[in-house]
Order: sequence, then C-alpha cells, then structure tokens
Amino acid sequence: MNRADNVIDIAGLTKTYASGELQVQALRGLTFSIKRGEYVSIMGPSGSGKSTLMNVLGCLDRATTGTYKLDGIDVSQLDDNQLAEIRLKKLGFVFQGFNLLARTDALRNVTLPLFYAGMPAKERERRALERLTEVGIGERARHKPTELSGGEQQRVAIARALVNDPAVLLADEPTGNLDSKTSSEILALFDRLSATGRTIIVVTHDEGVAKRSRRILRMLDGVIMSDAPAGAPA
Amino acid sequence: MLAYFIEAAQVLMANRTRSILTLIGLVAGVATIVSVQVAANGMAGAVSGIFKGTNASTFIVFPKITQGNAARAAFRVSDLALVQETIPGVVSVIPYSRSQTIVDVGHHRIRLRFGGESDKRFSTAPLVAGRTINADDVAGASSVCVISDNAFSRLFPEAPSASDIIGRSVYVGSKRYVIVGVLGKTKIDTAALGLDISTDVAIPYTTFYKNYQRGGTFPFLSVLAATSADLKSVEAQTVKLLASTHGSQYQAFDFGFIASIIGSFFNIVGLIVGAVGAISLLVAGIGIMNIMLVSVTERTREIGIRKAIGARRSQVLLQFFIESLLLSAFGCITGMLIGVGLGAIVDRGFIARISGVTGSIPWLEAIVIAVGFATIVTLVFGTYPAYRAAKLDPIQALRYE
Ligand SMILES: Nc1ncnc2c1ncn2[C@@H]1O[C@H](COP(=O)(O)OP(=O)(O)O)[C@@H](O)[C@H]1O
Ligand SMILES: [Mg+2]
Repeated sequence: MNRADNVIDIAGLTKTYASGELQVQALRGLTFSIKRGEYVSIMGPSGSGKSTLMNVLGCLDRATTGTYKLDGIDVSQLDDNQLAEIRLKKLGFVFQGFNLLARTDALRNVTLPLFYAGMPAKERERRALERLTEVGIGERARHKPTELSGGEQQRVAIARALVNDPAVLLADEPTGNLDSKTSSEILALFDRLSATGRTIIVVTHDEGVAKRSRRILRMLDGVIMSDAPAGAPA
Repeated sequence: MLAYFIEAAQVLMANRTRSILTLIGLVAGVATIVSVQVAANGMAGAVSGIFKGTNASTFIVFPKITQGNAARAAFRVSDLALVQETIPGVVSVIPYSRSQTIVDVGHHRIRLRFGGESDKRFSTAPLVAGRTINADDVAGASSVCVISDNAFSRLFPEAPSASDIIGRSVYVGSKRYVIVGVLGKTKIDTAALGLDISTDVAIPYTTFYKNYQRGGTFPFLSVLAATSADLKSVEAQTVKLLASTHGSQYQAFDFGFIASIIGSFFNIVGLIVGAVGAISLLVAGIGIMNIMLVSVTERTREIGIRKAIGARRSQVLLQFFIESLLLSAFGCITGMLIGVGLGAIVDRGFIARISGVTGSIPWLEAIVIAVGFATIVTLVFGTYPAYRAAKLDPIQALRYE
C-alpha cells in the first residue's frame, strides 16, 4: 500500500480530558489510515469517543499523544492559527444541526470559507453558486436558512463544506435531524460525491447510514473494536 | 476589508433598535462637548468684539473696601485736576456718576441711565445728529445733554429722525436739559451683558456735580487715558498719587479686568461641561462594551461556526472590532452634527445678538473631537468584547445553545 495514497494517517492517538482531579481517557491509542477517495463511517455507542475523534480529525482539537497526518501534513504540533488554516483549506464540516449563519442567505453562507481565504467577492459568489448548483439548490441561493427545509439547509451546509475543495469531508450525524425521505436524498448526494472521488467520513448511530459507506470503524471505550468493509457482519 | 464593514453594518442594521439605544449616551456626550466647543468659540469672538466696541483706554478708581475711613478716602473735586495734571497720559478725569433716573419729555417718562460726561468723550458711540458736549458746556456747567440711541428711540418713538429733536428738552426731576446731540448705536450692545457702561442721557460732568453732588464727595473716578497701550502703568501711578494725597488705599478697574473675569468664567463652564461630557462618554463606552459582550454571547454559536470553517482569531477579532468601530463612529458623527447644530444655535441666537459678532464654526475641532472619541471608545471598550469573541474555543462555541 502506497502511503502517499493516504489522506489520513493516525498512529497511537490518545486523548485525555483532565477535568479537575478526574482524568477521562476518551481515546486510548488509535491507529488507522484512510485512503484518498474512501467513504468511511465511524460507529459506536454514546461515550465511546466518536465526537472526540471527529474533533481531532477535524483539527478543532489536538490529540494528547500520537501522530495525525492529514494530506501529508503532521498536524499534531500546529498552533491555533495553523489549525484554522488547515480547517479552511483541507477540511469540510457537515453537522447534525446544519450550523448555517441564520441571518445570512445560502449564497453568503457558502462564500464564507472563501471570504476567510481572501478570495475576491466576484469569484467567491461564482464558486459558491457553482457548488449550490452541484448539490441541487442553485435556485434557492438567495434564501435565508429559515426559509429553507431541513434537507435544503443540509445541502447548503454540504456546499459550504465543499467550496474550498477540501481533502476530507467530515460529517457528524448528517441525517440526525432529517426525516427518512430527506435522509435518503442526502445519502444519495454523499454517494454521488463519493463516486466523484471525495473522501468522506461520517459519524453515525444509524446502521442504515453506515451501510451506505464502504468501510465501518466501530468504537468502544476509546478504542477501535472493528474495522471492516460495510456489509461484513458487525 | 470592505467585506468586514458591510458585514458589520448588516449585523448592526439587523439589531437597529438596540444599536440606537446603545448610542444615545455616546451621541449626548459628543454633542455636549462639541456644542460647548462651538459656543465657546462664539463667546471668544463675542468677548473680543465687546471690548473692541468699548473705550479700552478708560478705567475707574475707587477706595479699597477693606479700609476704615471711608469719608477720608472719598474723592473731592480737587482730585480731578490733580490727577489730570500730574499724571502723563491722562486725558480727562471726571466723577464716575451714573444713576437710573426717570427722564421726562412730557408725554413719555422713562427710566434711563443718567450721568456726567466730559468734552473729551468717554463714550465711543458715533454722533448721528447735533454735537457732543464741548469745553464751554463743561466750563459753564450748562444745562445741555447728549442722548443715546436707546434714549432717542424710547423717548421719541414718533420722531422721524434724530436731527428733529435737537433743541428739545428733557426733564430730570425739576431740572431741564436741552438736547444738543444724539448718538448712534455702539457696535456692541454692552447693556445686554449687564455691563452698564453707556449713558443714555449725558450732561456735562460739571453740571452733574453742581446739580447733584454739590459740595459733596464721590466714590468713583472715571479716568480717560490717551491710549490703552500702557493703561496698567497709568492706573498704578493714579492709585499711588491718590493714596499719597488722601492717606488711603485705592484700586483701579478696567475692561481688561472684566474681560479676564468673563474669560475665566467661561473657562470654568468649559471645564465643568467637559467633565460632564467625559463622564457621559465613559458611561456610553461601557454601554457599547456591554452591548458588544451581549452580542458576543448571543452569537457564540455563530463564532463557533466561523472558527470551525477556518476563520483565524484575528479575523474574528477584526469582525467584532469593526462592529464596535462602526457603532461608535456612527454615534460620534451624529453627536458631532447635533453638537455643531446646538452650538451654532446658541452662538447665532444668543451670543451673536449680544455681541454683534458671529463666531465661525470650528469644524476642525469638532471633527477632531468626534474622531478622537470614536477611536478612544472603540479602542478602550471595543477591544475586550472582540478579544472575548476571538478566543472562544470552537468546540465549546459550537455546543452553545
Ligand atoms: N470536554 C470534555 N471534558 C471531559 N470529558 C469529556 C469531554 N468531552 C468528552 N468527554 C468524555 O470523553 C468520553 C468520550 O466522549 P465523546 O467523544 O463525546 O463520545 P461519543 O461522541 O462517542 O458519545 C466520554 O466519557 C465523555 O464523557
Ligand atoms: Mg458524541
């Protein structure tokens, strides 16, 4: 296996939360790699460490020990500003609660990462509109989040996550707030993105969601219990 | 950078009512300071204008109040010639005599300022009809008078022009005086300021003495010097001469002294208003800080989203800083315009009426004050909320409901 193909390389990763006297070991030594273009789900019961792992993968938080290489960059030692830069350029987030800016229309929500990247306004809007069209809601670009359905909001969030052409798309329970019909629409969109070569990591409780991916990591108490292709017996 | 301003303006517009309420204190503070600045400018012009219009080379001498023997200190008629002849630069010395008296022209009886005048003219008002009091009037203590513009318009409202009343008489008590001259307006209406320096009905000071102070003494001397240039030295010599003659102590009082009193009065007013303005700005600044902190708290989740997306600390800092800046700039500019307006109303409507001098509006000072306060308020009170926003932890901020 060629290591250059790996978009994520994790070795001996631990995360310990120290809240006062109490120390919680949320991650206890994870080692795995994700290849470019893979579509992976992370599953596990509540408290198993999924969110902690997502925060570390998403460069919102640093691991306590171990190494994390993202797209060839060792991000374990970066400072806050460098992490912000990695989030901006290498990562796209999709949240359960959509997390769009409420006062701002769909188009300007999607231009936001480009704004922080310092792109000129015209170019920002052109690219953002392109992404919105790609996820199927180009014609809703001038609507505010409150004027959009849950499914539409999640599409806007996906467009925003993709607008900087990130190395990895991270989704935390992306269908958790959606009814089954819209959920399957979003999952179909993920399938399509995966087919075009996107690297996608989805955290989910839902076996149905996990089955759409190609590989499932199952966690328990901060360790990976199993790492198997989707469809293999759990 | 422009995008930050647009963004900030949109946020502030979305919270319009709150933004405006926040700004009331700032607007009031800046308006107060600027209006005082504008009015003070007008006042400075007015004070200089008033003293341009008065005879700057006159002064009054009177005994110091703190001494015992008032009778010995009072002036006698012999002092007039003594001062005039002994001290170089003194043109005329007369008893300072002014009283509010009923002046009667038959159909009108009006209370006016009545007093003695020298042929050397203590008044600076221009002559519009007839003649002024001359040396013969003084020498002969004749029963003539020169009336002011104020006296003319009130005693003879029906007279078509000043020259028509030359030769007519006015009565003060049982005495009759023939009008020989009418004076015009002094440029400055000093009476409106309470400076009782113009006489409405002036008779020769010798006549005044003969009719009203006969054989008596008087408490004040009016001295007219040739020039205002070394008035202080003339004053000092006069005081010294009188002191050695009477064995009493005297002091002199001139318009420069009044000007300095007025000046220091306005300095004190300026200081008080400045302090009030500074306190209101402090309160306003705290108000802005408070509203920005509320805004940061309310928008914790938004800040989390922005940071998750990849906003650097400095970018979040800048966003909130610019919001504070816009808020305080808007408040300061509004306050400046209101302040200039109020100051101009005070100047044009009040000070200029009294002084005849309209102060120019000190735009530069007003702008400097507004920009200075906007900068200070933003730096002092906008930085902390922006810093709070910038240092929020994205994970916690995203979890915030
Ligand atoms: N900020 C934190 N401080 C202390 N303990 C935490 C913190 N976040 C998570 N934990 C603990 O770490 C463990 C893993 O939590 P988490 O990653 O949220 O699991 P999951 O997302 O799978 O439910 C849990 O025991 C949780 O209580
Ligand atoms: Mg969780």
